[in-house]
Amino acid sequence: MADEELGPLPAGRHGFSREHVSHNQRERLIASLATAVAEKGYRTVTITDITKHARVSRRVFYANFEGKDECFLAAFEVVVEHVHELATEALAGVGEWPEKAVATARAALVFFAEEPDLARLCLVESQAAGPVVAARFHEAVHELVPYLEQGRCQRQAERELPPTTEESTIGALVMLASRKVGAGEAEQLRDLLPEFTEFILAPYLGAERAGEMARLQAA
Amino acid sequence: MRALPGKASRQPPGPEPVSRAASAQDQRRRILEATADLIAEQGYAETTIEQIVRQARVGYATFYKHYADKEEAFLALLDAAIERTVYEVEEAYDREDGPWPDKVGAGLGALLKAVSEHLNVARAFLLEAATAGPEAAARHEAALKRFAPLLRPGRELNPRADKLPETLEDTLVGGVVWVINQRLIAGEADGLRALLPEALEFLLRPYVGEVAAAREA
Repeated sequence: MADEELGPLPAGRHGFSREHVSHNQRERLIASLATAVAEKGYRTVTITDITKHARVSRRVFYANFEGKDECFLAAFEVVVEHVHELATEALAGVGEWPEKAVATARAALVFFAEEPDLARLCLVESQAAGPVVAARFHEAVHELVPYLEQGRCQRQAERELPPTTEESTIGALVMLASRKVGAGEAEQLRDLLPEFTEFILAPYLGAERAGEMARLQAA
Repeated sequence: MRALPGKASRQPPGPEPVSRAASAQDQRRRILEATADLIAEQGYAETTIEQIVRQARVGYATFYKHYADKEEAFLALLDAAIERTVYEVEEAYDREDGPWPDKVGAGLGALLKAVSEHLNVARAFLLEAATAGPEAAARHEAALKRFAPLLRPGRELNPRADKLPETLEDTLVGGVVWVINQRLIAGEADGLRALLPEALEFLLRPYVGEVAAAREA
């Protein structure tokens, strides 16, 4: 690999292995895509926009990704993985399932509020980026269903909840959040926590207890 | 009135003579049908005017007589689909004489029926509108909001109505639309109508509680 392809990393003995450098370039390209998409929207972003932000050549881009979609999906996966980490962390914390579920929702909302570019990429642009990305978006949201299903053992009622309960709930909340981000209010995502709390808990704890816990979450 | 023998081959045979207005309407219908089918099949971005005119069996001039570009045809398709679907849902809701939960059930049934009967239009609207630029995305958003007034009367049945979030109706519609989207993406459109009881319970629960919602569903 020629030196010029290493981009603006300090030349000479920087101590990074080639693998590390190329990994670093990949990460820089992913971060640049997020910035470029936030500025222009996915449809109008070009490979040049991405490489310019990352300060690498087009050749480096194509060494890492086949095209725009693949780079977008890589960025999307980074965010999804992080959300799963937040959930795992929150669920390993103290308290009963309802408290943990609320902690998960809070962690995700705070993360996206602090990273509005990533919120837009993940929740808005992913739905506009064509069939392949949209399908992956839906799949990724579906992967959150098991976190909610853990609430089923909290139920007092004999009756089983309908199988699509969690799918509808998650879908409703994701659409609520993406609407807010789409309206340019990503920074205020934290305000949705009471609604998220009530929606997440109501099927398992009943409307009354869910409502009480929701009011505790009002900022 | 029969066309002269020499002209007969130029007009498709039919029991009624085709007036100019009717033929323009028919052209638009064919163009929009082709647009829906192509977009559902391969996505908005991949669809070209060339493909649309070929599939609709009209000339370029005819296409451009009705629509300035692909986006305008797509927006016309969305507008027609939205008006038809909202009308059918509202009509079913109004026609049902029973109490509010029954009305919601009737409206939801009409929605699932409309989606099942026009799968390609539903795919174009639900999955592709977001990819087709701000105009189409705004229409998608506005269309979903039109179902909220049908749910809102449920608040009167809830003793804690004052504590329900302002966005509840939009959120509930979002949940049902999400599940429909999932079925379309997964190619499980056959099961759409079977979603009725579950989706109805989901819509009613925040207003009347689980026990009553499950009973109604």
